[in-house]
Amino acid sequence: MLAVRKHEVALFVDRSTRQWIVRDPEGNFWIVPSVENAWDHREPFHPVEDTDLEPIPGHYKYLFRLPFY
Amino acid sequence: MTSEHDRLEAARTQELPWKKWGPYLSERQWGTVREDYSEGGDAWNYFSHDQARSRAYRWGEDGLAGISDDQQRLCFALALWNGKDAILKERLFGLTNNESNHGEDVKEYYFYLDSTPTHSYLKYLYKYPQAAFPYADLVETSRRRSRNEFEYELLDTGVFDENRYFDCVVEYAKQTPEDILIQITIHNRGPEAAELHVLPTLWFRNQWSWHAASGRPILRQVPGLPGQSVVQAVDPKLGERYLYCLADVPLLFTENETNTQRIFGVANRTPYVKDGINNCVVLGEAAAINPQQTGTKAAAHYRLIVGPGQSETIQLRLSDMAPAALASGNGRAGAPLGGQFEEVLELRRNEADDFYKAITPGTLSADEANVMRQALAGMLWTKQFYHYDVDKWLEERGCDPFKATRKAAPRNDHWHHMYNGDVISMPDKWEYPWYAAWDLAFHVLPLTLVDPDFGKQQLKLMLRERYIHPNGQIPAYEWNFGDVNPPVHAWATIFTYRLDKARQGEGDKEWLKSCFQKLLLNFTWWVNRKDRSGRNVFEGGFLGLDNIGVFDRSAPLPTGGYLEQADGTAWMALYCQNMLEIAIELAMTEPDYADMSLKFTEHFLWIASAMGHMSGDTGMWDEEDGFYYDVLRLPDGGAQRLKVRSMVGLLPLCAATTFEGDRLAKYPEIGERFRRFLDARPELRTAIHDPLKNGVAGRRLASILDETKLRRVLAKLLDEREFLSDFGIRSLSRYHADHPYVIQASGQEYRVAYLPAESDTGMFGGNSNWRGPIWMPVNLLVMRALLQYYSYYGDAFTVECPTGSGRQMNLYQVAEEIGRRLSNIFLQDGAGRRPVFGGAKKFQDDPHWRDYLLFYEYFHGDNGAGLGASHQTGWTGVIARIMHLFATLTPEAALSGSKTAYFETEGRAAKREAVGAR
Repeated sequence: MLAVRKHEVALFVDRSTRQWIVRDPEGNFWIVPSVENAWDHREPFHPVEDTDLEPIPGHYKYLFRLPFY
Repeated sequence: MTSEHDRLEAARTQELPWKKWGPYLSERQWGTVREDYSEGGDAWNYFSHDQARSRAYRWGEDGLAGISDDQQRLCFALALWNGKDAILKERLFGLTNNESNHGEDVKEYYFYLDSTPTHSYLKYLYKYPQAAFPYADLVETSRRRSRNEFEYELLDTGVFDENRYFDCVVEYAKQTPEDILIQITIHNRGPEAAELHVLPTLWFRNQWSWHAASGRPILRQVPGLPGQSVVQAVDPKLGERYLYCLADVPLLFTENETNTQRIFGVANRTPYVKDGINNCVVLGEAAAINPQQTGTKAAAHYRLIVGPGQSETIQLRLSDMAPAALASGNGRAGAPLGGQFEEVLELRRNEADDFYKAITPGTLSADEANVMRQALAGMLWTKQFYHYDVDKWLEERGCDPFKATRKAAPRNDHWHHMYNGDVISMPDKWEYPWYAAWDLAFHVLPLTLVDPDFGKQQLKLMLRERYIHPNGQIPAYEWNFGDVNPPVHAWATIFTYRLDKARQGEGDKEWLKSCFQKLLLNFTWWVNRKDRSGRNVFEGGFLGLDNIGVFDRSAPLPTGGYLEQADGTAWMALYCQNMLEIAIELAMTEPDYADMSLKFTEHFLWIASAMGHMSGDTGMWDEEDGFYYDVLRLPDGGAQRLKVRSMVGLLPLCAATTFEGDRLAKYPEIGERFRRFLDARPELRTAIHDPLKNGVAGRRLASILDETKLRRVLAKLLDEREFLSDFGIRSLSRYHADHPYVIQASGQEYRVAYLPAESDTGMFGGNSNWRGPIWMPVNLLVMRALLQYYSYYGDAFTVECPTGSGRQMNLYQVAEEIGRRLSNIFLQDGAGRRPVFGGAKKFQDDPHWRDYLLFYEYFHGDNGAGLGASHQTGWTGVIARIMHLFATLTPEAALSGSKTAYFETEGRAAKREAVGAR
């Protein structure tokens, strides 16, 4: 059986675009806006080589009402 | 018994929760390890003072002269604005470790003027300049100064010139445990009228943002009586509370949530964020506050114009009583805060006076009584709700201890069992707003003068499974829970037990037993972890004495090898003695503990004799100097003593305890086994005091030092050219002023010279110095030991004190003399000067400053001036116990009653109070 590697859920801020970025357990990155039910309004995000993501403390994840923790 | 004693009793029996509300709000939450989520663990820079007004805290709250409930759900504190500053004064400002030339330092003037142990009455003074607060000047000037220069203090900036400042006095008086009257009095000390914005602020600690299931509390304006503005606070767990504000003042509402726009550069989800009130008042941004008059943070906005030399008063009431009940059932009709406000406030003030009168020896002068009261008030104000769930914290930074993909945390990686969420006695709520295990043991000594139950609870708390590590280590402090503090917990435990026993008539054996079991784990941890060679000589690293050694004792040595530490070994000898005392006490009613008493007797002898015998001629005792030193063990098998005359070498003297000869007479087999043990190992007795030799009243003495060594060490201790200063015992001998200790290692020179003031190195953050200054806790240990020796040797044993003076004293008199010199740090001298204030003219001369005491972390080795943390009332508060002890104990009682004499004195006083009440 193949082991599927799970990624740590992580939060970032991209200061250049002033956006929150979430990495989900599958390793996908998402832009989440500063609104209520932010996760429902997510959009895909594709980091490129010079993307500079600043980590945000893990306790902020509750702000976005993520469906996973 | 006084009314305050009644309240303590009601709190103890859980009849009424008189301690539910108290000054449990920290004075600094920013810059702490708990709030640090940086990759490298840079706590000071990760969450700065500048961010604090805009960024919600994760683990606690802070504020000015504040209070909270004991779970810190709801907080109340003072905010101020002089119309000049760029920000509200919501919290104390200070420099971070890197910004100041001597480490972190609060740059404000504030004073803990009074507190009863249930906080039924509290009084606090904050001095706020009328000119713009010199934030930038303090940072920039301090940064330019070298470690060889003085710190740049707020008074040095000139902002208090011409007395252009406000004295802001905050008083709290509890009418009931849930009904708190608040009076804020603003005095203008300046020559002209000046305006001050006063913003009493109520807010909820943010828990809702960090937990999926946490209910959100709410603050909202509700109608009140004419001349009254009312905030209703509703929390799912706390229930309803009301803040009544006298006068029809504007109420400003926002949310205690992060201003993500300012902190992270991302748009806010709500326009109402933590700094909303700041931005409304200071920047005039009306949109920053919620016009719906609701939120999780609210302030009443008073604007006062105070004439020169005049004062204005604001009254508020934080209560569980709804407006209708307040209007109908509490006081004269139409009185917005209830008609009894002034009467209750005055009553609580008087009750506080009665309480302190009852516990203060009548022989103390008015000045001495003032010092004692402010020391105890400071201890009580320094209680703080401390919240830190290490497992959660590790998880939130991607260091979940149970995930394979985890990364290592920069600190506390192996302390994931810890969950702290309690009111704890802090060393200093600004500079050290986190508990420190050995500090706490000292805190308990003065705290038990006013609140024995709190002292017992604190000692037990550190031993609970949520604190002590599964391996038995007691947590040191949050910067590194795994660091090693001196093991003084058992000493504080037996002290507190005896005190309680004398007061209550019988000891709390269950409490003592439960402490003893956990201390056994801790003792075993020490033996297994810090005795590398298994020869009963101990290491331990810096052991609380920071820069005292020639090398950093917590780091790998530049020479290679390791240190056998005189202090580490002496601490363990004392630990054995304290455990022995506890075991004997428990054995009086439970025979199982008799065996433990023999175990600790033998263990003490192994350790004590190892200090003299180790490795032939390179033991810790130096016969030529008549002093103990650390021994450096080199990789090539060589060894040398590091001949620095310091507190390290005095600590073996402190490991001395007398025992009544007949305590274990009911267990003759224990005595027999002990004799067999000694007969089989006669060498154990040769290098230490003979444990079989009877002293006064048939007492036995457990001591590393025999009489000859004791006299030799005392000759140095009491020599004013060495350790004895006019203000207590120095941490390093003055001998090293002219004779620095120098050693070469790895091509580098290491030296220790006498340095009576601040540190000149960055070792241990550079904000403390054990190379000369006077430290209160170790002075206390020296005095304790002297009283032990006195109760064994009696009046016949005299020494010259000071050395070379020709004046002979017995050891009680010597202890008393040291106590007198320590007290003189705070007391006015013949010229009306208090040495603690050093050269600060304002503090020495100004009637609005000179009687407000600061209990610093440590004191100048030559002139007694306060140094280090300015509000470390924590262990410096032991001065209250010292003053009390020598005002109530007599040499005759000490000799006849030995170690229980002092406790019985206090117990008798407590009983007299009880009789008086009947």
